[in-house]
Amino acid sequence: MRRALLLQLLAPLALVALAALVGTLVSTSTETYVINALVNVVIVVALYVFIGNSGVLSFGHISFVAVGAWAAGVLSMPVEEKPAIMPHLFGLLGEHTVGNIWSLALAAAVGAAYALVVGLPLMRLSGLGAGIATFGVLEITHNVLRYWEKIGPGLNTFSAVPETTGLLQASLGAALAVIVAFGYRRMRFGRLLSATREDAAAARAVGVSVYRQRLVAFVLSGALAGFAGGLLVHMLPVNTESVYLDLTFLTLAMLVIGGATSLWGAVVGALAVSAVDSFLAEAESGIHLFGRSVDFPAGTRIVVVGALMALVLILRPAGLTGGREFSVPLARPRRLLTKFAR
Amino acid sequence: MRRPGDSLRASSVSRSFEGVHALRDVTLELGRAEITGLIGPNGAGKSTLVNVLSGFDRPTSGTVELEGRDVTRWSPSRRGRHGLSRTFQHSHAFRSLSVRENLEVAALGVGTVAREARRRAAELLETLGLTSQAEALAGTLAQGDERRLGVARALATRPRFILLDEPAAGLPEAEVPDFAQAVRDVRDDHDAGVLLIDHNMALIMGLCDRIYVLDQGRVLAEGTPDEIRANLDVAAAYLGESAVHDADDEG
Repeated sequence: MRRALLLQLLAPLALVALAALVGTLVSTSTETYVINALVNVVIVVALYVFIGNSGVLSFGHISFVAVGAWAAGVLSMPVEEKPAIMPHLFGLLGEHTVGNIWSLALAAAVGAAYALVVGLPLMRLSGLGAGIATFGVLEITHNVLRYWEKIGPGLNTFSAVPETTGLLQASLGAALAVIVAFGYRRMRFGRLLSATREDAAAARAVGVSVYRQRLVAFVLSGALAGFAGGLLVHMLPVNTESVYLDLTFLTLAMLVIGGATSLWGAVVGALAVSAVDSFLAEAESGIHLFGRSVDFPAGTRIVVVGALMALVLILRPAGLTGGREFSVPLARPRRLLTKFAR
Repeated sequence: MRRPGDSLRASSVSRSFEGVHALRDVTLELGRAEITGLIGPNGAGKSTLVNVLSGFDRPTSGTVELEGRDVTRWSPSRRGRHGLSRTFQHSHAFRSLSVRENLEVAALGVGTVAREARRRAAELLETLGLTSQAEALAGTLAQGDERRLGVARALATRPRFILLDEPAAGLPEAEVPDFAQAVRDVRDDHDAGVLLIDHNMALIMGLCDRIYVLDQGRVLAEGTPDEIRANLDVAAAYLGESAVHDADDEG
């Protein structure tokens, strides 16, 4: 029993480590894709913490990635660079710069705080209502960040942010997210939330406040998403478009394709879809494959990922992993025996 | 006579849904350590009353008191944490969690520490005969096991009052005596007050200390099983007019 539980943590960690290892073996340009995939793992794990455990849909999580990226980006850009990129910044923000780790911690804190503010009213909703309302949050956030130049670059891109998210930082970040999500799921909070997902009325009947449990998960998942935003802004020049609809769609597709109700599914989905997505992105700009030149038209990426998601939903609605945690098939002979004995 | 603060009480409760009176001026008291039956034809308002008592529905007028406190406006989860538990007519198992986890989560839900929740789950698996199914997913249980899981989960919260909404419905006939004993144990070992709704009259008559008869949203009769059996009004409501008159003719 204990060993099975340990495996559920070690398997996703091993997969993250494997991705990191692959990253060390490939060319620098391919390494960038691996780093990106590992940041995607953090985002999808954040989605899993809320969506997977609560069964409530959110289209708004990339807002938390965005505010995390904004917090980390604004505060870690060197003071002398700020006037050129963010000329209208609040005085206080313009005069201070924090280090890499502090900016990541701040990104997580801002993500959590924003999720709390949003969650207090929205966690009363579920189903369609929650989906649409969180989508509204994404739109609001997008427009505020786009046009409010006192808190960031507005329409400009976050250049000049120190590029600290290399392979090491991305893999450590992904591992941290996996550990946090695993720990949460085993805690009282995670266990009660998954009961509300299974049957909200029955959970209420045994004393569980559905609202409170959803809010806790929403805030934790906001923290992880904000942290992912911090990693992202330290990796590539982020702007409002890079933390908006495409990323929302892509990460939700990863969660669904992997299997939304398990941490293993979230990690598998994030890495598998990232691999496909990276390959297609390369193919869009022309690659050589088996001696032939391949040149997909622009937009192929999202078309294929969208089709892939639909296909998985039709053929395997619970995702590639079936929404179950990792387990070794050989560890189950006892249950098989009892099944036959009946 | 029981102490006034030691009961779950509905006082003059009415509930109407857009002009349809599901409950009219119902007063019912459920004491600790006794089994109270609630019977009546389909549509009499039994489930509405359970919903009002457990907080899943609010009465249009009247109050609900739990151990002397007015809980009419309390949420179901708050009532759950204060010693009131219920089962549902249809399966409400946490389907993709194991049977054991169903019980542990229920204990955790009312604030029990993890170690105690684990101990309590193991104990309930034993008493309700679910030990061999402990690691199975709740969604895969046979109907009899599923009914017992519902009761076990309600008990995992250590309730002082427990509302069982047709817990034996769909239970194989052979399992009914064991199930009846399990309900008696709830009263005797846990000192809980049990409200039992069921259509199986033999089960109700055999188990209950007191019985309320509900018809068209009103309390038609209230008393010991013997008193209820003797009450012809009840027979009329429950068996239908013709059955009663046939019996009269023969008598």
